[in-house]
Amino acid sequence: MSDATDSCLPDLRVNLGGLALSNPVITASGTSGYGPEYAPLFDINLLGGFVTKSVTLHERPGNPQPRTCETASGMLNAIGLANVGLERFCVEKIPFLSQLSIPTIVNVAGHEVSDYVKVCERLDEIECIAAVELNVSCPNVSDGLEWGTDAKRLASLVREVRQVVSRCKLIVKLTPNTGDIVELARGAIDGGAEILSLINTLRGMAIHVDSRKPMLANVTGGLSGPAIKPVALCMVHQVYQGCTRHNGIPIIAMGGIRTWRDAIEFHLAGATAVAVGTSLFVDPRSPLALIDGMRAYLKRHGLMSIQDVIGKVQLPEK
Amino acid sequence: MSGNMSGQPTPKTFQLVQSTVINHQRICREHYRLTVSCYNFANARPGQFVQLSPEMNPQTDVGESCQPDSAQSGTDCEASLSTPALPFLPRAFSIGGLRRNGSTCEIDIIYRVVGVATEWMATLRLGQCISLLGPLGQAFPIIQEKPRAFLVGGGVGIPPLLWLAEALTNAGITTTAMIGSTTKELLPLQHEGNPAPYEDAREARLSSTEFARANTPAIISTDDGSFGFKGNVVEAFKSHVSANASESSRAVVYTCGPERMMQGVAVFCAANDFECYVCMERSMACGVGTCQSCVVTVRSEGPGDWRYALCCTEGPIFENSQIIWD
Ligand SMILES: Cc1cc2nc3c(=O)[nH]c(=O)nc-3n(C[C@H](O)[C@H](O)[C@H](O)COP(=O)(O)OP(=O)(O)OC[C@H]3O[C@@H](n4cnc5c(N)ncnc54)[C@H](O)[C@@H]3O)c2cc1C
Ligand SMILES: Cc1cc2nc3c(=O)[nH]c(=O)nc-3n(C[C@H](O)[C@H](O)[C@H](O)COP(=O)(O)O)c2cc1C
Ligand code: FES
Repeated sequence: MSDATDSCLPDLRVNLGGLALSNPVITASGTSGYGPEYAPLFDINLLGGFVTKSVTLHERPGNPQPRTCETASGMLNAIGLANVGLERFCVEKIPFLSQLSIPTIVNVAGHEVSDYVKVCERLDEIECIAAVELNVSCPNVSDGLEWGTDAKRLASLVREVRQVVSRCKLIVKLTPNTGDIVELARGAIDGGAEILSLINTLRGMAIHVDSRKPMLANVTGGLSGPAIKPVALCMVHQVYQGCTRHNGIPIIAMGGIRTWRDAIEFHLAGATAVAVGTSLFVDPRSPLALIDGMRAYLKRHGLMSIQDVIGKVQLPEK
Repeated sequence: MSGNMSGQPTPKTFQLVQSTVINHQRICREHYRLTVSCYNFANARPGQFVQLSPEMNPQTDVGESCQPDSAQSGTDCEASLSTPALPFLPRAFSIGGLRRNGSTCEIDIIYRVVGVATEWMATLRLGQCISLLGPLGQAFPIIQEKPRAFLVGGGVGIPPLLWLAEALTNAGITTTAMIGSTTKELLPLQHEGNPAPYEDAREARLSSTEFARANTPAIISTDDGSFGFKGNVVEAFKSHVSANASESSRAVVYTCGPERMMQGVAVFCAANDFECYVCMERSMACGVGTCQSCVVTVRSEGPGDWRYALCCTEGPIFENSQIIWD
């Protein structure tokens, strides 16, 4: 299945901070469960990697419903990190994941530093897990603010986790609900992040005009889908130009990726890998179409490898 | 192509298939019946549903192409000439009927126009192609040991009961349908004649063309009394089973419709020892258990004696006693 063996096909392989991906297309956390859910529709091994739903130390039921609603070109969600918790994850979900031939990335969330540390310490021992991705968009217990909105606090969280993660790659997923995402990227890297992913959902809201109640039981939620793509693209561009271009830390880009064109835009802006989230709900097989489309794009432009696209946006001369 | 982990073929429980609109009719003021034809639709049973979206791209397996060239003119549905706004996420629709002929499968969807997706659906013309994801969710169980079944449906809860009536009758189970709407104009069914309002709901008649086709007598109720029994369908149901003194231990009740209506049926069934199954509706995104949108509160053995079940995979059919109503 290696692209390199067929000289006609452009090479889609990327090196994501030491993770060898056969192509740059992966799933976004929370949009493809723990793996088996989409198996009847396509072979997950055709993707570059697989990212699980957030796992927390203890099982969480999540928020009351309604938890999601459609918005113009996107959706709001307030799932509330519903997940099976670390123990059940290890017993029930690892057997499937361990059979995947592609890198498995486990997304981790928590409310206290010790939550993250305990979960990551355990996951680091599990052979089939290639990387942990820290979801720092959840509020911490001390002041209710998101972990990921302050660079210093983010750095100290990542530093603590860094102590216990030695085998797995450490990915930090940045939140867009902040003033300066480049500062946060620097904070995450200072703390020891080897890969950055961005962006998580943008805070948003919708109101039912007849009942005058918020559409989500949680009142506000996270906006995702094509509606947020320009924002996500801009943030990837800022982080790449202002930070990672110089230190070689790779970026996994996400936020409204729907077509191969979206994916190429993110690569041009500096992303090494691209994750498909909300678009899976619209068309579960869109990641495969993305891979085909990217390959065709490279061919059309006479490019041998996706590496020739990464960070190659032509910016006006200053 | 099937999902394939270490050489183990994954059973095709559901698929993304391309279908062609072969019939599309307005049934009443706000309801339409859409019939699509597709190939190789996986095994499906009443209670299961499909996800519909203008955006899904099936890239189907062999033999699943549809023929836009065969488009016929003269659809019964009133297609809007302006381009409708398109929904972003897929929407769930119960399978209202299913017929197979070799590898070809015809699927009926009965829907009420309430928003952007159903407005888009109302514009579909004969011959047009749409993608379906399905069959999804759990089916109504058919309890062979019980010779009697009652179906209680309201509004857009009626479609899955139509197909269920057929399956129950085929299984030799004597079935009666109780169907209700607010007013005659909103009944998503064709009906014979225009009977004077029933005095009570004692006698079921072959009054609905669709249920009659499944040999299922029906009691139609309207809240305003414009057709059939005057009152809501829960009252019609209670009045019918009380009057017929049917032994609850021999009967199964299946209900689908607005949540408050189902709750009324469920409470009555619990109090009168009827085995009862409800079809829950939740706002959905993925339809396959990944997004966690669609939770239903159910009883649990575990801590706190409740948990959230996913309507799309554990449901939409639940046993009455599982549900913790709001
Ligand atoms: C398992 C299952 C089976 C189903 N089977 C059927 C079926 O067989 N037939 C059928 O007709 N339906 C069925 N449904 C329901 C159907 O999926 C929904 O009604 C669907 O949302 C319709 O999509 P829509 O875009 O037309 O309406 P939507 O836009 O989703 O709107 C739904 C309702 O919300 C209202 N609304 C939305 N936004 C606002 C706002 N901001 N302010 C005020 N009101 C608002 C709309 O007016 C409408 O009443 C089923 C649902 C499930 C879960
Ligand atoms: C329903 C839903 C659930 C999500 N759950 C998680 C989660 O558990 N952890 C996380 O880090 N991100 C989660 N996300 C965010 C996505 O991974 C992604 O960052 C975001 O949705 C932007 O990408 P998209 O527009 O392609 O969906 C979730 C998104 C959605 C829509
Ligand atoms: S609709 Fe996504 S989990 Fe049920």
